[in-house]
Amino acid sequence: MTETSGRAPEASTGLSPATRDRIRRSKELYPSARSAVLPALWAVQDELGYLSPEGLAEVASELNLVASEVEAVSTFYSMYFQHQPGRHLIQVCRNVSCGLRGADLLLSHLESSLGVEDGQTTPDGVFTLEGTVECLGSCGGGPMIQVDRYSYENLDFERADQLLDEIRARGSKSGGVARNA
Amino acid sequence: MADTHTAPGLVSLSIDGRIVEVAPGSWVWDACEKAGIYVPVYCAHKKMDPVAVCRMCLVEVGGVPKLQPACATQVAPGMEIRTATEKVRKFREGNLEFLLVNHPLDCPVCDRGGECDLQDFTLRYGPGRARAEIGEKVHFDKAVKLSDKIILDQERCILCWRCVRYYEEITGEREIVLQQRGVHTLVDTFEGRQLESEFQGNLPEICPVGALTHQQYRFQARPWDLRRTASVCPKCSYGCNIFVDAREDQVARFASNDNPDVDDSWLCDRGRYSFPELNRSDRVLNPEARLAGARQAVSYPDAVARGAGALLRVRADHGARAIGFLAPPQVTNEEAFLLQWLAREVVGTPHLDHRLSALTDLSPEQFALGIAEIEQCSAVVVLGTEPELADPVLTLRLFKAQSKLHREVVRLSSEADPEQLAGQLEGHSLVGIVAHQDQRAVAMRLSARLATRGTLNKVLTVVEGMNARGCQDLGLTPALLPGYRVVPIAGQDGGAILRSAAEGSIKALVVVGQGWESEPAFEEALARVEVLVGITPFAGVLSRHATVLLPGRTIAEKAGTVTNTEGRVQRVRPAVQPRYAFPSDLRILGDLARGMGADLGVQPLAGPVFELIVRAVPGYRGAAGGLRADWNLSA
Amino acid sequence: MPEARVLTRHLGKPGLTTIAGYEKVGGYQALRQALRMGPEAIQAEVKASGLRGRGGAGFPTATKWSFLPRGVFPRYLCVNADESEPGCFKDRYLMEEFPHQLLEGVMIAAFALQVSHAFIYIRGEYRAQRELLEKAVAAAYQAGFAGNRILDQDWSCELIVHGGAGAYICGEETALLDSLEGRRGQPRLKPPFPAIKGLYGQPTVVNNVETLSNLPFIISEGGAKYAEIGTESSPGSRLFCVSGHVERPGNYEIAMGTTTFRELLEMAGGVWRGRKLKAFQPGGGSMQILGPQHLDVALDFKAVADAGSALGAGALVIMDETTCLVNVAMRLVDFYEHESCGKCVPCREGTYFERELMHRLEAGLATRAELATLADICANMDGRCFCPLGDTATWFVMSAFKMFPEEFERHCGAGHCPVRAGLEAAA
Repeated sequence: MTETSGRAPEASTGLSPATRDRIRRSKELYPSARSAVLPALWAVQDELGYLSPEGLAEVASELNLVASEVEAVSTFYSMYFQHQPGRHLIQVCRNVSCGLRGADLLLSHLESSLGVEDGQTTPDGVFTLEGTVECLGSCGGGPMIQVDRYSYENLDFERADQLLDEIRARGSKSGGVARNA
Repeated sequence: MADTHTAPGLVSLSIDGRIVEVAPGSWVWDACEKAGIYVPVYCAHKKMDPVAVCRMCLVEVGGVPKLQPACATQVAPGMEIRTATEKVRKFREGNLEFLLVNHPLDCPVCDRGGECDLQDFTLRYGPGRARAEIGEKVHFDKAVKLSDKIILDQERCILCWRCVRYYEEITGEREIVLQQRGVHTLVDTFEGRQLESEFQGNLPEICPVGALTHQQYRFQARPWDLRRTASVCPKCSYGCNIFVDAREDQVARFASNDNPDVDDSWLCDRGRYSFPELNRSDRVLNPEARLAGARQAVSYPDAVARGAGALLRVRADHGARAIGFLAPPQVTNEEAFLLQWLAREVVGTPHLDHRLSALTDLSPEQFALGIAEIEQCSAVVVLGTEPELADPVLTLRLFKAQSKLHREVVRLSSEADPEQLAGQLEGHSLVGIVAHQDQRAVAMRLSARLATRGTLNKVLTVVEGMNARGCQDLGLTPALLPGYRVVPIAGQDGGAILRSAAEGSIKALVVVGQGWESEPAFEEALARVEVLVGITPFAGVLSRHATVLLPGRTIAEKAGTVTNTEGRVQRVRPAVQPRYAFPSDLRILGDLARGMGADLGVQPLAGPVFELIVRAVPGYRGAAGGLRADWNLSA
Repeated sequence: MPEARVLTRHLGKPGLTTIAGYEKVGGYQALRQALRMGPEAIQAEVKASGLRGRGGAGFPTATKWSFLPRGVFPRYLCVNADESEPGCFKDRYLMEEFPHQLLEGVMIAAFALQVSHAFIYIRGEYRAQRELLEKAVAAAYQAGFAGNRILDQDWSCELIVHGGAGAYICGEETALLDSLEGRRGQPRLKPPFPAIKGLYGQPTVVNNVETLSNLPFIISEGGAKYAEIGTESSPGSRLFCVSGHVERPGNYEIAMGTTTFRELLEMAGGVWRGRKLKAFQPGGGSMQILGPQHLDVALDFKAVADAGSALGAGALVIMDETTCLVNVAMRLVDFYEHESCGKCVPCREGTYFERELMHRLEAGLATRAELATLADICANMDGRCFCPLGDTATWFVMSAFKMFPEEFERHCGAGHCPVRAGLEAAA
């Protein structure tokens, strides 16, 4: 038995110095370095769009953990991607409050206007559509979608299409917490 | 409740109306066991902390509305536990139904069939049949090769977490982890990486179902075809207790047989998977003797007579010192004792050994520390990596001391300065020093320095070879008589004996067992001597060169005792019968002695010979049941 | 007048997300006052307020604090901002609108408990809110409300915003701790309880966002004044999230105990589209269903419990007469199955089994025997799971089945959803 067994070899992972720096700063922040696992995984995903095996190994090595443990943690949380998603993530809340206000129909509409099913990415790689998500905490504004980090509430089909067109046109992640979009 | 009559320091509680007394802090599950009431569990394991995830052991606790997990509920005085109520029965049935929802039900092709807790509990507590259609079961990978030793079937896994906790709590390696979440949770390695642990073989044993299985045992046997014998693992001097599971005349597997003082129920892969060596088909099947240049099959009495005669002739022509005795440290205590008697008392030669290099200044003090006693040490110093390389399971004991008991474990290069180290360890209540036999001197120096500074300490020396410790205790060494009594003028050690034989000053050798077959010096010496009496189970260098060859037994065919590195005397028992009817190695030695005109005084059987041992080495009295021989050491 | 103004008393004032704006309405004065009062006086004030936890269980806050063993340090405060209960969106609102009110409350509690670190564990989906909070925290550090020698007193405390990554179970306090320690967020065996062995094995208090947001008021106005709002068993005010089939969904702050569901529903404009109420959930997705006959029950911990449900996280979900309760139940079961952490058998496999049966039932494919099986497996889950998630995964289903048995039975063998079919036929 060796201390390093199971740990990934030191490899260049292509993580930027800024991301590495973010991971190291997270590590400093907590009384125990292990607490920085989630922030470190966010840093990797923010850069790569998902968590590559190399990225997991890098986090493990930065935090003195075994890579298998980091993978165990990362796959537990639904927001960490194990594969590269589209540039923008559209989450459609279909929990009870939004469901009562027509979220299923909104999802069906988005499926047909984007030409993909729940869980799929558009062929141009712009949008990934997720209709199986936790309650997104916009119950007062259902039906709603969250695109990347921003919520768009009280949507009808027309407004939803318009919104996606705008995002596609903007091409970058921006926006705000939009109520009554 | 019977509290007024409770023994001091114990907690009294009732289980299904039976009163039991257990230590405070015990789990309800243990109390149930003590009361003789079986409560089914999957996740709980006596060597690991409870997690209460399988829920199989939920029982009623008086005054608590919800069912409670017996494995993770601490006993309290006057507690009333009920395990046989309708509420418990219904839940067990329901829980088994849940476990079968996504189970592939492939028992006919599963290696665990017949010794599977899912199968057993379902029969005993489970639902008669499925109540509803499940559209689609959750599918996972089957027959995932985790290494050349372990196969994982993720569909059969019931997620008891034992393997994951084993890697976390017992080895610390974390090779197998839980991945994903909810009903999609599975056990796996990082990115499908192969297992590298030296302790993988424990996984199938702790797995309650057929998820983790041995590659080696795959589709080999069903448990009801196996015959189980308690014995000792032959691969190193640690003395792990095992079950030898045999099918007809073949050893089918080694399984652990928990001895908390030694192995703590864990085996290393080197030991566990060594059994195919015992099934080798190239056996020596007949006594043979060299007659007119060529070796021929002879009768057993003829072979013994020829062997004894040849040794007597060499003694007559060249003196007793022209005869050497060698046996690698795989021989039993009884064989070792008889061999040294044969050499010293019957033949009269001082040249005898169980190793090929010199071992000087041996003393029982070098083995004062017991394996389990490591847990009582406030600090343990391990010199170099050699002790753990020699006896791998030691690693797990050290990890337990460190991680569970928070003992300080210091691993040092063997060149460390004892003086400086002794200073660092001041203030510890008990320091353990673990060293390989080659580092005994350093260990003893450190021990002395610590003692000078008033720090209580004990040394554990790790010797090489299953019964090296027994061979030393019982005088199968050129410098020591049984019981570490010093020989006034030492004979030659094993290496010197081989050199003398190669040079021609030693004319006859008696060699028992396998062990040095790949040593060039061994073959060189054996090829040269005029008389070579060999007792060995397998074809090889010894059988090739023997002038008198006698079929020996493997460790799986022997009865007797062996002594592990801490001095614990444990029994080996015959698990398979040899395919021929010739006498045991022990009897062969007795018959050779008789052939040379000597009388052992007792039957050459393990029991009577052990009595001779006890007479020569009183510390062995009463130890054969698995105790450490008493050397009258004061710490 | 059911409406109360504690948490939302500054609503409408400009610049509340900045320290300057918050200070203009008296912000951070309560923290200064608390530092002068000392830990014991703060705890006494909280005790006098009768404040009960707003995360769902309603445990008295001062009592929870009192479980910390004396003299054991370091100790930690964790703020549960993992708001994930279906129908619940009040913590999000409090963080978006009044972030400094929360931070002030956190630091008051941190001082009262003498912790070395306070962590705000915010769910991963609230990324934008996390960033808002991080900005507010940075400003608080700059202003000397966090970090070394806070407000030049001999007391230091780090304030850290920690983002989750998508796991409902992390709202369970021990799962939250494991997640914060960088592990899979799965609940821990209890005992030991977090107050004794929590984060990093040290004494830890976990409080909800709304709970702590009340502290600035309690300190500046006094615990007694807070207790005057509401009733003895349910003191203070509370933010209720009203959603579903209502005209004006949103967060409403009301006095507890004295207000009824009917009044709250009226504040939210009543059932939408002039329809009739069929049923409602008083405490978010986990809680048992109530019907129109329960509208006059007061929003009081005990009164709701007596009616057979619980106030939970304070989320009122309204369902109108067109609602198919089997459909709602299926939706919730889908959610629990998705969010089951997988640790224990009855939750992991039970929710999967439940989901399979609910889908068959909703599609009109289940037999009556399967409906009976559904009820039976719910009984085998409820109270048998490792943590409340698996238990609550059965509560809506079972309570809806009990209240509307014929609606569930009509689905059996119908080949389709009879409620939807009925609506389509009527249209």
